[in-house]
Amino acid sequence: MATLSIGSAVLEGSGLARGYLKVGDMPDGRPMQVPVLLRRGAKPGPTLWLHGCVHGNEACGAFVVHRLVHEIDTAALAGTIVALPILNITAFRSKQRMSPFEGFAGGDLNRCFPGKADGALTEQMAHAIYRELKIHANYLIDLHTAMTADVRWALYPNALGEVGKKSESMARAFGFNSTLPAPMDILAGSAMMAAARDGIPSLIVEAGGKGPAFTSALVSEVVERLQNVMRQVGMLPGAVAQHGPLTYFSNFAWVRASQGGLFQRAVHCGERLKVGTVLGHYYDLWGQPTGEALSPNAGVVLAIHPGPLMASGETLVHIGLDPREV
Amino acid sequence: MINATTVIRVGTAEAARAGVSRGELRVGDTPDGEPVTIPVTIARGAAEGPVLWIHGCVHGDEFCGAFIIHELLRTLDAASLSGVVVALPMLNITASQRGQRMSPFATFGYGDLNRCFPGMPDGAFTDQMAHAIYTGLRQYADYFVDFHTALTPDTRWALYANAPGDVGRRSEGMARAFGLKSTLPSPMDILGGSAMIAAAKDGIPSLIVEMGGIGPAFERETVLEGAERLRNVLRHLGMLAEKPKDHGPLTYFSNFAWVNATRGGLFERAVQCGQRVDKGTLVGRYIGAHGDILEEVKSPHAGIVLAINPGPAMATGDVLVHIGLDPRET
Repeated sequence: MATLSIGSAVLEGSGLARGYLKVGDMPDGRPMQVPVLLRRGAKPGPTLWLHGCVHGNEACGAFVVHRLVHEIDTAALAGTIVALPILNITAFRSKQRMSPFEGFAGGDLNRCFPGKADGALTEQMAHAIYRELKIHANYLIDLHTAMTADVRWALYPNALGEVGKKSESMARAFGFNSTLPAPMDILAGSAMMAAARDGIPSLIVEAGGKGPAFTSALVSEVVERLQNVMRQVGMLPGAVAQHGPLTYFSNFAWVRASQGGLFQRAVHCGERLKVGTVLGHYYDLWGQPTGEALSPNAGVVLAIHPGPLMASGETLVHIGLDPREV
Repeated sequence: MINATTVIRVGTAEAARAGVSRGELRVGDTPDGEPVTIPVTIARGAAEGPVLWIHGCVHGDEFCGAFIIHELLRTLDAASLSGVVVALPMLNITASQRGQRMSPFATFGYGDLNRCFPGMPDGAFTDQMAHAIYTGLRQYADYFVDFHTALTPDTRWALYANAPGDVGRRSEGMARAFGLKSTLPSPMDILGGSAMIAAAKDGIPSLIVEMGGIGPAFERETVLEGAERLRNVLRHLGMLAEKPKDHGPLTYFSNFAWVNATRGGLFERAVQCGQRVDKGTLVGRYIGAHGDILEEVKSPHAGIVLAINPGPAMATGDVLVHIGLDPRET
């Protein structure tokens, strides 16, 4: 077997290696580095690149990656998992979405791929990560969360030809009912879209909410679904579980709050909406009702703001449009 | 107890007769010179009775209490109320706006509002806030309930000022009417600077309720349950006509132990609030960035879990677990 190395993680044969990939420097001059796990099977096969915490407060993905990599049986594995459980390490430490060291550029790592070697901090991070991803990955799965513990949906790049077809088969093997074949003109700068353009079939999983808003049961379920994707791509033995028809969308709508205040949601993720469905209730500081948030679109709830407080412009609801069983 | 001719004024809220008045109390200024004001609701009953002061969000990210207070206010009928409810649901407003425990304007001073009472008119930002709030509390309150949360949605405990004499007895009466199973008769030498201890020292029977977790980590059911338990306190104080519900024996503690994390890492808790632990019971696991278990952390005390860190990530010194010591049924 050829030597596999990413950052300081080096693997000569099959087995597990741990290390770090340097993605920048801290303000005190020490290296900013993200943890890397390499798990290579006894048998040859493709390389699945898995990462989590592109947004620092979406910790559910890190727990999923950890459990998958540590529980897998090297003897049964064909191919290699390259796993970076906590990509946006400085944001993770600060329990926030973006790095505290990001200054002018906005700092959403999932809008910065493939990155820029001489860009702002997050662009340099993206560059350091993507350079390796492009070399090694045959498949990419990117683990995110939305806001609340009940979030469960996925999206794949609806690219032309083989990349789109393989991405779709990953999404079907993962099998969340709410799935978006993502038009190629949205989410520019995401690792998923960058990879799809470079011919790498990709999937984004949205499971769980921010910070501690996820359960151990969800982590186990996502691990099991990822193992099914690995069966699908020939990395694990066994029959691929069939999840049956999924609900596909034409696109999604981000709906921003046009009103601020205390907020209590009235819908759950996965729930069907009509135009005008009550999404939640606003209250003032004295507890008096100040309005209802109504859905501007029909569709399925992908994400909903949990409250309890909301400023204008925050993400109120994220809706999957034109649901159809496929 | 106020008499029928007393006008109650807290900030711009003013209650001269039966009914509900809403206003704002100025507690400081922002760096751009605008007033920092907090919401005040005064609900005055048709019949005479005591003044119950309730407040929430002393810590800005403990929103469950504000929702409990709001739920009570929306369901309170001034016509059937004896006495007055003065409610300040969101005390530390600048902290709440940021979704954090302490005000972003707290600089050098001690920014924990629940360590700053009775306050200082010329102190740091939070001391001045405490002073502005406590002035009204001391002037009007016959009884006082302070709503907090701990870290996770399953938090459910209360503590009352175990003061000598009548203040302690009446505080205990409120705690029993609220009736959360885990209850601490709080020694008077802990929680210095809390509104509860400051009020008890001024002769006002006081209770702290801890229900729900940080930020959005609380359920609608907890809000409804908290409001119903609060209503039961009003019944107990004779402010509502119905007979108070008897919650039966509670579990009292001698004190609590705060246990801070002596190492950092990703963290998975292994216990729930209300659970009995022995010395050595597994409380949770620290996990490294590569997913390896760094340490299984054991409880240093026997007792009942009052609060537990939900993870998912913890630096050294974070609150790991909060334990009620020497539980006994009373």
